[in-house]
Amino acid sequence: MSRTRGSSPVSGPGSRPPLRWPALARRLHKWLALVVGIQAVLWMLGGLYMAAVHIDIIHGDRLVKAVPPRPLPVAGLVEPAHLAHLAPGLKSARLEVQAGRPVYVVDAEAGRALFDARSGRKLSPLGEAEARARAKALFAEDGEIVSATLLTKAPLEIQGRATPIWRVEFEGAWRPTFYISPQTGELVSRRHDLWRAFDVVWMLHIMDYEGRTDVNNPLLRAFTWLAVGSAVTGGWLLFYSFRRRRRRRGAVA
Amino acid sequence: MRLRETATLFVIRSLHKWLGLILGLQVLLWAGSGAFMALLDSSAVSGEAAILPVAQIPAPAAPLPLASVAERVGAPILRLQLKPLFDTYVYEATTPDAVVLLDAVNGRRIVIDAAKARALAVARYSGDAPVRSVRRIAQPTPETRDAPLPVWRVEFADKDRSTLLVSEANGEVVGVRTDTWRLWDIAWMLHIMDYGQRQTFNHPLVVTAAAAATWLALTGLILLIRSFRR
Repeated sequence: MSRTRGSSPVSGPGSRPPLRWPALARRLHKWLALVVGIQAVLWMLGGLYMAAVHIDIIHGDRLVKAVPPRPLPVAGLVEPAHLAHLAPGLKSARLEVQAGRPVYVVDAEAGRALFDARSGRKLSPLGEAEARARAKALFAEDGEIVSATLLTKAPLEIQGRATPIWRVEFEGAWRPTFYISPQTGELVSRRHDLWRAFDVVWMLHIMDYEGRTDVNNPLLRAFTWLAVGSAVTGGWLLFYSFRRRRRRRGAVA
Repeated sequence: MRLRETATLFVIRSLHKWLGLILGLQVLLWAGSGAFMALLDSSAVSGEAAILPVAQIPAPAAPLPLASVAERVGAPILRLQLKPLFDTYVYEATTPDAVVLLDAVNGRRIVIDAAKARALAVARYSGDAPVRSVRRIAQPTPETRDAPLPVWRVEFADKDRSTLLVSEANGEVVGVRTDTWRLWDIAWMLHIMDYGQRQTFNHPLVVTAAAAATWLALTGLILLIRSFRR
């Protein structure tokens, strides 16, 4: 093990100096950093964003009005035994209050559907007026609805959700957007720009630039190990950089 | 001009060095745990292969009328579900205080005890290993942090120690844990620096560390550009 000063290995002119340990550590650290440097900054900045902005804010919890659930008025409702006639091949049903009235959300052979629990009338698929009314009733802020669109293909920000789906965007900070199922009347998802930024950060963090979901992609696997190498060589380098400084100070004194 | 540049470089170099000294181990842990999590197959971590979809059974032709359900529940009902639970259809009534399960045909109260939880877990388990243990978890543990408590922890005697979490309230399988998940969870804990419940990444320690590490990375990048320009 050589005990050199590190910064400039002394050697005769013309001959290529042998690579000493500190120089090797420095060179490795530099070249690894050349590959992962920008990604490392993105990891740190992104990590900082994800840590600093609370996940409940990201999830948009505060966009939705907290409505204390009211007891169901059970008397005079369509009996569950009748549901199989309304929706053949019934799998499951849920009785709840939506927009102030009792409804059945059913899952049957033909898919999911919504029924008025008093009259048995089929409410789904919800039209635009109904989707707007529900969105407005659920929105916790004051902003008006900017647009309501029925999407037949789920956009990336709600990938994997069933379609068609109503997208209702509000005016207000961070472009709040509700996604409401025309089949069940449920608020399926809520999005706003802080969530969208989080999603971009997450994409950069896991280096899956298409689906933004694959945490096992080869690029990430390669880069994380390079980052390990970069950290290890950086730690190795610390030994020399602090030792050298102390010596230099001693030399001056 | 030259002097100022040298002084700036000295500051950046010192920052990088000292931040490296203070944060080095954590940065290594971040990189290492990140690399480890990237290696562990996410579907193995989620344990999705260990559970089967809910088996389809025909809905009863004559489920209990609503009036009888309300009488048996004996409390205001906020939400009522009619759904299959393994081999029977049940009513799941959510009241202000609790969740009540009734057999949808005869109206008998269903309680998710150890034996029932075990049967429900076995019904959803995709493997053929026997049950190793059934335990009721009422206090939060890392394994059950995402599940509503109390929950039944049904562990199977397979190689991955697959464990199904069965809600005591409604009998649903609310989570799967495997040894792959348990390994992943250690890496996750180190990554988010939450050494207790391993749950939140929104705490002062990790925010501070990330802010400082951002400077470590940025100064490193500046030094890198400098060193190649020379």
